[in-house]
Amino acid sequence: MTLLFIILYAATLIYFALSERVRMFVVLLSIQGALLFGVVFFSLYKIELFDFIFILIETIMVKSIIIPWFLNKVRKHNNLKRVHEPFVPVFYSIIVAVISLLFSFLVSNYLKENQIHTVYFTVAFASVIFGLYFIIIHKNLFSHLVGYLIIENGIFLFSLTVGSVMPLMVNLAILLDVFMGVLVLGTFVNRIGNTFDSIEIDQLSKLKD
Amino acid sequence: MLSILLILIAALFFPGIINKVKAKIGGRKMPSVFQPLFDVIRLFKKGAIYSPVTSLIFRLAPIIYFASVLMAILFIPLGGQKGLLSFDGDFVFFVYILAIGKFMLIISAMDTGSGFEGMGANREALYSLLAEPAFFILLGSLALFNDIASFSDLYSLMHSSTDLTYITGVAAIYVLMYMAMVENSRLPVDDPKTHLELTMVHEVMILDNSGFDLALMHIASGLKFAIYGTLISNFIIYTAWPLYIQIFLFFIIQSCFAVVIGILESFRARNKMEKNPQWILMLSAIAVVIFLTTLIITHKIILN
Repeated sequence: MTLLFIILYAATLIYFALSERVRMFVVLLSIQGALLFGVVFFSLYKIELFDFIFILIETIMVKSIIIPWFLNKVRKHNNLKRVHEPFVPVFYSIIVAVISLLFSFLVSNYLKENQIHTVYFTVAFASVIFGLYFIIIHKNLFSHLVGYLIIENGIFLFSLTVGSVMPLMVNLAILLDVFMGVLVLGTFVNRIGNTFDSIEIDQLSKLKD
Repeated sequence: MLSILLILIAALFFPGIINKVKAKIGGRKMPSVFQPLFDVIRLFKKGAIYSPVTSLIFRLAPIIYFASVLMAILFIPLGGQKGLLSFDGDFVFFVYILAIGKFMLIISAMDTGSGFEGMGANREALYSLLAEPAFFILLGSLALFNDIASFSDLYSLMHSSTDLTYITGVAAIYVLMYMAMVENSRLPVDDPKTHLELTMVHEVMILDNSGFDLALMHIASGLKFAIYGTLISNFIIYTAWPLYIQIFLFFIIQSCFAVVIGILESFRARNKMEKNPQWILMLSAIAVVIFLTTLIITHKIILN
């Protein structure tokens, strides 16, 4: 059952490469949060009840509802409708997404360690690679935020690969990190949007004292 | 043998059902289901007119195109029934026999010497080139699934084993459905109703064909839809069911497919021309996900 969610997660990465509307990014992030909820629900049931419930609430509330809601607010505030010209045509992005998937599947097939759950490793690795690529190809600050969240989802899956324990402290730290990152970057994006009427990173080079 | 008859019957109704649904949603009076058939008969009664600049290729192409589609039908299985012809690796033959027909269509469009038709031929060639990997990765992963390389047994294990086969099946149906749209030059890629030559793909290629030749083209496109409908229905029809249920289900699925196409065509706009290649490539990307899933199911990739 975990595999089902993992494969659907891989499919969302391809849709990230395909879609060009900013609204779609937010919807996809929300879907990814729900899929992570599914993964946790079907694989982590052996841990303590409190931790389990905490992680479930984290994935479904924070990743799937609060962060997308906040991103939507930022999007509406800045009147974003489309991505403004990614550096690379979407055609190549799809190829990169597929290659990163294939690559991580191959790598995980060679990792025959007993301590590592390669099931999660495959998509986690692909997610991190694709998140970095996503940040590189977009000029738009909002999309950078989305790319950061894709990487974060990858890291969440990475933490599942090393064992089915997932300590509460580590989890809390990651959660705080993400929350602060999103809040700070979101406010940052809003401020830049107010000042320059656009949130392309080219504008940042004009900043002076 | 049965599958050929069924496909021929389904092909008669297919364009009619699509038109009916589109008319209903568009708020027009619905034409008869047989209207496309009457059009074809009317065209058959007319003689063909050939431009003086065309050569033999232009006259041969429609017949070869039609023959290639007919030939492809011979290989298609239905449920437990085998196709009329069947050998190892016949799905490769199936794809390329369709490609021969398309190739003849392309060079016949070039043969007329019209700038518009050359452009349409260019686009058609590009789109079929991009759609080919999706189809092969899909069929390849099905073949890997069963360790079988013949069309008739390709689906045999589809209905057993794990939950993951369902996701493979759903994704495969999605890919095949849009493959049918690309191959038949329907809406997300090409608008059959467009009136501007610059935005046409398939329509502009058959601009010079008339009468008998045009009728052959129309029949071939109906047959192609029925072929893809059969490929889709093979995913759903369970081979152990009795034959009359299989036949009944076959027609249900074909008409559902036609209705879905009609609804899709009524509600979505055509892609921008420049967005088309990436949209078709997306089908290949989904096919790769199916391929990876198959590798996991068959334990070729072992995940612990």
